[in-house]
Amino acid sequence: MALGFGNARPRSVRSLLVLVLATAGVMAASSASAAPRTIELCAVSGTATLTGSTQVPIWGFGAPAAAGDCSTATASLPGPQLVVDQGDTVTLHVVNRLPVPAVAPLDHTVRVEIPGITFDPGPTTAAPGGDVTVAFTASAPGTYLYSSGGDAGRQLAMGLAGMLVVRPAGAAGQAYAGAGTAFDVEAPLVLGAVDPAFNAAPDTFNLHTYTATYWLINGKAYPDTAGITAAAGQRVLLRYANAGFDNSSMLLLGMHQQVVGRSARQLANPPSTTTEIIAAGATEDTVAVMPSTAPPTTHGFPLYDQQLHLTNGPQTSAPAGSPLPPGGMLTFLHG
Amino acid sequence: MSSPRIRALLRLGVVAAVAAAAGLAGTTSASAIPAGAPKVGMVCEPGTASAGTRTFNLVANAGYISTPDGNAVYVWSYANADAPDNGHFQEPGPVLCVNQGENVVVNLRNTLPEATSIVFPGQEGAVAASGGSAGLLTTEAAVGNGTVTYRFTAGSPGTYLYESGTDVSKQVEMGLEGALVVRPTGHADYAYDASTRFDPSREYLLLLSDIDPDLHHAVELAYGATPPSPPPGYDVNSLRNRYFSINGREFPDTIQDNGSSLLPNQPYGALVRIQPNSSSNQLPSLIRMINVGALNHPFHPHGNHTRQIAQDGRPLRTPTGGDASTEHFGETIGAGQTQDFLLRWDDTDNFNPANNPYPVAPPNYLNVTFKDNSTWYSGSPYLGYKGTLPTGVTTQNICGEWYFPLHSHALNEFTNYDQGFGGMGTLLRVDPAGGCSAPVASAALVGGTLKSGSVSALSAADTAYYQINPKTTTRTSATNATQTSITVASASGFPTSGTYYVRVDNEVMAVTGGQGTTTWTVGRGQLGTTAATHSSGAAVSALATDWYAGFTGIPAGAQSLKVTYTGKNCATTTGTTCTALTTNVPQQTVRICDWTIAGATGCTAVAGPGAAGWVTLPAPPAQPQGVGSSDVSSTWNLPVNAAQYIGTGSSKGQVRVLVHTQRWTASSPTPFSTWGNLMKIVYDAP
Repeated sequence: MALGFGNARPRSVRSLLVLVLATAGVMAASSASAAPRTIELCAVSGTATLTGSTQVPIWGFGAPAAAGDCSTATASLPGPQLVVDQGDTVTLHVVNRLPVPAVAPLDHTVRVEIPGITFDPGPTTAAPGGDVTVAFTASAPGTYLYSSGGDAGRQLAMGLAGMLVVRPAGAAGQAYAGAGTAFDVEAPLVLGAVDPAFNAAPDTFNLHTYTATYWLINGKAYPDTAGITAAAGQRVLLRYANAGFDNSSMLLLGMHQQVVGRSARQLANPPSTTTEIIAAGATEDTVAVMPSTAPPTTHGFPLYDQQLHLTNGPQTSAPAGSPLPPGGMLTFLHG
Repeated sequence: MSSPRIRALLRLGVVAAVAAAAGLAGTTSASAIPAGAPKVGMVCEPGTASAGTRTFNLVANAGYISTPDGNAVYVWSYANADAPDNGHFQEPGPVLCVNQGENVVVNLRNTLPEATSIVFPGQEGAVAASGGSAGLLTTEAAVGNGTVTYRFTAGSPGTYLYESGTDVSKQVEMGLEGALVVRPTGHADYAYDASTRFDPSREYLLLLSDIDPDLHHAVELAYGATPPSPPPGYDVNSLRNRYFSINGREFPDTIQDNGSSLLPNQPYGALVRIQPNSSSNQLPSLIRMINVGALNHPFHPHGNHTRQIAQDGRPLRTPTGGDASTEHFGETIGAGQTQDFLLRWDDTDNFNPANNPYPVAPPNYLNVTFKDNSTWYSGSPYLGYKGTLPTGVTTQNICGEWYFPLHSHALNEFTNYDQGFGGMGTLLRVDPAGGCSAPVASAALVGGTLKSGSVSALSAADTAYYQINPKTTTRTSATNATQTSITVASASGFPTSGTYYVRVDNEVMAVTGGQGTTTWTVGRGQLGTTAATHSSGAAVSALATDWYAGFTGIPAGAQSLKVTYTGKNCATTTGTTCTALTTNVPQQTVRICDWTIAGATGCTAVAGPGAAGWVTLPAPPAQPQGVGSSDVSSTWNLPVNAAQYIGTGSSKGQVRVLVHTQRWTASSPTPFSTWGNLMKIVYDAP
């Protein structure tokens, strides 16, 4: 089962099924009781295809086929989705295969961060060529963002981030322990942005001039974003994690999304909303129930960034006197 | 507010010239708000309702808006195609007000050079579209007067927005946006339910949006009469907003009235004007906020908390339906969100100079300076009081009200193109409890004589009274029971024209001729009395008293005038004790001067040409009222727009209120005197 991703029915000849899950090393079958888990990740250079044929260099996490063998790891944007159960004692082994930088004071040291998770005492950094093992107990269910905080944010901007899901113990099919967080379909949505000029020269680029021109959901921009498939009446869990540098306001048209959790904490009074701000670095969980009525368009119910990042690439050659080609942070929920 | 008008008048020339040059459709004279709409507060476009369906006809068109730094920005928006607007350009679009459960039909016609559409975030279930052609997010209206119709049922009450669903990166930024308000079934004064009840005269809409003038200019050139070659481009990734708006205006334009003639294409003001809550004023005001721009805005009710009761048209509740509202002095409203706030303002300190002064003395006005010699301060730190300001300082303050800025706390947004104290800001104005009030400045007797007291007795409901006797004179000779001509010692104070009644002993006579002279033609034995003989020197009394109170300094544009009069009538015309009146109770009618009737001379008398301007104050309470020897206090509310009751020209700022009291019925007309205790007017300052 493609856990967590709606079946992306091709909406045009160019749409692709986004993100192939890595295999057993990353994801174990869901179990009811806490267990020790080992997760292997490599931080490697790679390439991401943003839309159509636009490719940019990235640094990303990838899962090796065998522990420590990063030659088999492919950087993905975002990194592999990690799923554990509440109570699991997790051993996260990260190998740093980023290139050694030529520019001081950058060191390309990977600094493992998962806000909201308390690591067991020990090192959390790995220099290029080295590795580190970080241990923690996944004590609280929810959606988390794992990333590398190295090189003062440049590594995050290059793509070193992904989503960690902690499932509630004894509450299968729910986001949290409390009622009201049950779901039928689950959709992780890692939000991000890319400035291709930065990605081409991450060590020397002047960050004051950082201007993102690609706006991504799970590493893809419309029309390559994967849709979310659910039948009428089904509860769709939208797990947002913002790996970008800027807040994103996500608007769901024709439906409401009830906010059940923020920053991996279940809300006591979950509000029903249309648009939610997902702050940079934050996570949020909402539940939207698929209506039985028709969507506003044949594509389905639009879910998009109300900060209007809905174009792909620089628009310098786009005449102001014609419509802009749609792109960016847009996807659809459909039956 | 007056001082920004001078700059605004200079700008108006720029706007008109640019609009004329662009040759845009739509007139510059038609009003873009319904007749009778309030000058301050949310303005509803009600559409056309019929059998459970409410229909709006909108047209997407282009126009220019005016910014306080003298710029005119090309904007796309929706306009109301129906009368009286007839497509007059407005930014933002009309506030569509519907009732819960209604079927809403929105017909859109497109005159823009690109296809456009409307999406309705927050409306669940189907928004069915007919006509038009399928677009990415919704069905669209084509170029060249293309049309599309949207239908949905307004299922849930709340504050919502509508905006373009086409090429949104450009079109929403270009201004295609508006508000949609759904009122709960049967309760226009609930936001959602009884627990969110508000004062319907204190309902405000703040719709936030942003402008990058470079984007607007590039679109303007590209679609202009002679587009440059190569065509101008614009990279939406380089968006840099320089104007930040509330209801399509930037401060200080945000505090101008709705429908201000200074801003013909930006009809909605954003002044929030409240009075303190109290046991007699329990209901909070409602502030509906919408953010249509692409930026999140940290909005700040400076110096106050506001209580957020809802987001995106859904009240904040616990899972069991309890209250989960929260108070904020800084709350970010995200791009595309709506948030509703209730604002209660309670004066918990009740400082006043008489018996509860501030523990710290205010600075001496000689030691105070004001930037640009201009201020909103009244000169007194006490709510409702005015004080002394240094010479040469201009104050906008009207009656001692307080002002708080209500603004985005991203301070670069509180600017007009980087000039501070502009942009995304408005004012929260707290008027004194009950509204602005003016003291009685003068009193004039137009029918009667002063028994005792002075006009200062009218300033408070206390033990001091302004006491008036009916006018009297005396007969210069004896009267028999049949004569129809009598002479009196003096006619002064009696009407100079028209028939009126006088009493001599127990007989009422009608004066039908000789008014204004000392020889009167009279009809005998009137009103059920019997003609009789009277001795020489007998008192001849009018049967009514007429006096009016004069108020000064009422600002033009003041609204919602309320007149309060407290008084009684006593059976004695002498002495200091009010003797009881239990039968034949005098009839009192309180009137106000309408200066537009017969000009400024219309309110100086109660008979003849000087009497034409008096109009009876409207029920409730109905008049005349029987007022005996106990104080009766009545308050009358005048219609919101009160311009005709405020004098102009040589009577500028004057309001006059007349008290007419008459006592005459059979069979023994007895004397009385009118005792006025309190005469007060309050009003909402402009």
